[in-house]
Amino acid sequence: MINLQNIEKVYRTDTVETLALNKVSLEVAKGEFLSIMGPSGCGKSTLLNIIGLLDEPSKGEIRIDDQKTANLSDKQLAQFRNKKLGFIFQSYHLINDLQVLDNVELPLLYRDTTAKERKQLATEALAKVGLSNRVKHFPSQLSGGQKQRVAIARAIVGRPEIILADEPTGNLDSAMGNEIMDILIQLNQQDGTTIIMVTHDENMAKKTHRLVRLFDGSQVQ
Amino acid sequence: MFKHLFKLIWNKKKQNFLLMSEMLVSFLVIFAVFTLIVYYYNNYKKPIGLDYQNLWVVDYNNTYNPKSTDSLNIFYENLRQTIKSMPQVKEISFCSDNVPFFQNQWTGDVHYKNASPSSDQYTVEDSYKNTLNMKLVEGRWFNKADAVAKTQPVIINEDLKEKLFGTEEAIGKLVGSEANKNDMRVIGVIQGVKAKGDYAPPRAAIYKRTDTGSFHWLGKIMIHVTPDADAAFEGRLYKTLANYMKNSNIEIEHMPNKLKSTNLFYVVPMIVTLIVACFLVINVALGLFGVLWYNINKRRGEIGLRRAIGASGRSVSSQLVYESLILATLSLIIGTFFAVQFPLLNVFSLQASVYIVAMLLSIIFIYLLVLVCSLYPGRQAAGILPAVALHEE
Ligand SMILES: Nc1ncnc2c1ncn2[C@@H]1O[C@H](COP(=O)(O)OP(=O)(O)O)[C@@H](O)[C@H]1O
Ligand SMILES: [Mg+2]
Repeated sequence: MINLQNIEKVYRTDTVETLALNKVSLEVAKGEFLSIMGPSGCGKSTLLNIIGLLDEPSKGEIRIDDQKTANLSDKQLAQFRNKKLGFIFQSYHLINDLQVLDNVELPLLYRDTTAKERKQLATEALAKVGLSNRVKHFPSQLSGGQKQRVAIARAIVGRPEIILADEPTGNLDSAMGNEIMDILIQLNQQDGTTIIMVTHDENMAKKTHRLVRLFDGSQVQ
Repeated sequence: MFKHLFKLIWNKKKQNFLLMSEMLVSFLVIFAVFTLIVYYYNNYKKPIGLDYQNLWVVDYNNTYNPKSTDSLNIFYENLRQTIKSMPQVKEISFCSDNVPFFQNQWTGDVHYKNASPSSDQYTVEDSYKNTLNMKLVEGRWFNKADAVAKTQPVIINEDLKEKLFGTEEAIGKLVGSEANKNDMRVIGVIQGVKAKGDYAPPRAAIYKRTDTGSFHWLGKIMIHVTPDADAAFEGRLYKTLANYMKNSNIEIEHMPNKLKSTNLFYVVPMIVTLIVACFLVINVALGLFGVLWYNINKRRGEIGLRRAIGASGRSVSSQLVYESLILATLSLIIGTFFAVQFPLLNVFSLQASVYIVAMLLSIIFIYLLVLVCSLYPGRQAAGILPAVALHEE
């Protein structure tokens, strides 16, 4: 499903050059739930961004569904992300000026859908994360756990095959973190969604199929 | 997508209020400026109503006071013959002091039924029309036979005709110098003369024929000269006049120069207004640009997110441009509501078409301004790297 070969990422600024990823190769199977761990600054987010086609590797090749992604145009990449990928972030990234339902509908605005379809799909996605009763709320009226559930609903509303989660429980206490984790596990088991999750929490990582550790940009095991 | 953007704008109405008021105020200012420009332009396009190119004006004052009016008339008829015999003089006409392009102005009401518009009052000779090359539209100009007419014949211009009679026939109608007096008969209609210069509309005017006593108080001589009339000729003319009318203050002026200085009364305020408006527009543009720029930087997280979930760089930038254009549209709707009151309430008694054209121009102007001010910030936004933007919070 996802295939990374010898990925390198170098960040260059005027003064310093950071090797954020060093020869990372990774194969993720369809339906797999993979977690990535490692100390802060070791390149986890960078790796996830590259898998999510939000950033380009300096060297190496990524294939998703056996498709090379290196030569896709900006527009094609955007379409690719929209159809295949769902993103969940540590800081939720909800749009505060939009109600919960509108936040969840967002990805559908970038594909051909009618308002009715959008509303229906978003309502379903919110039901899946148990937030059917918060549809008209604004993000500021929600708890952290609820916000992250909205973000999950937004990530799954377009029925992507792959979900990329960057420390989804990082800002939450363990009870709320577990709730989120349960939802992700359920998505993986029931819908067969492939999930790659960055986490700091060993307990969360244990619940996944496989763990990849990074250290200073390199794979450790 | 449109509904989505609208929602986004609506939910942020507090933040957008400032931007919208800025657009509203600039629309109203631009509307005022365009109204002025369109009004001036409309006036400018109208015919000036006379041929001023080779027209000179002699300003004099009658100092000759013989016992009999006949002697006075002979005195001035002799002067007329003397001047007319000069080869550079095509036509000459004595008239009242109020000449086009001069500050002097005589006004009075003209009455017809319930209408009594204020009107410029000129006293002129039979040769006046040809000296000024004025254009007769209907009826006829004065002739000698009018001296014995029972009812005083008058000629009005198109603007007075419209005010008195609307679309009705004017020729033959009786009008009054006072209400219900009906002491004058309209015998002709001439094209209006823009007596206040190129940028002001012709004013309603009525022309009366000189009578035997008029030379007591007439104060100007219009002279249509040939194109080769030069300074030497002007000197000769001056000497002739000064020798003939001893003790009178003689001044010769050229109509093209008078027109220029009359135009200045309109051009100068126009330029001042334009400069002020330019500063204002630049201010507004910078403000708009700044606010849009600031908004985009405040919304980096949102932009990163949109990129992640499927927006291309281009759709991010067009989204931001659309948002500004929607804001502009809302401001323009409110602005148009205010602007429309001017023709509806007839505030400055300008034609409605002036306001409407000015409104359309202002709307186009504001849209262009907003478009230009949001294109660059929009492009910047398209360049924001999603991975970086998403990382910042
Ligand atoms: N846009 C960037 N420009 C320069 N350096 C970056 C950028 N993003 C990340 N880095 C650097 O790359 C390394 C890996 O960062 P990151 O992937 O965010 O780490 P993690 O998510 O594991 O904490 C860090 O040293 C970080 O400073
Ligand atoms: Mg990180």
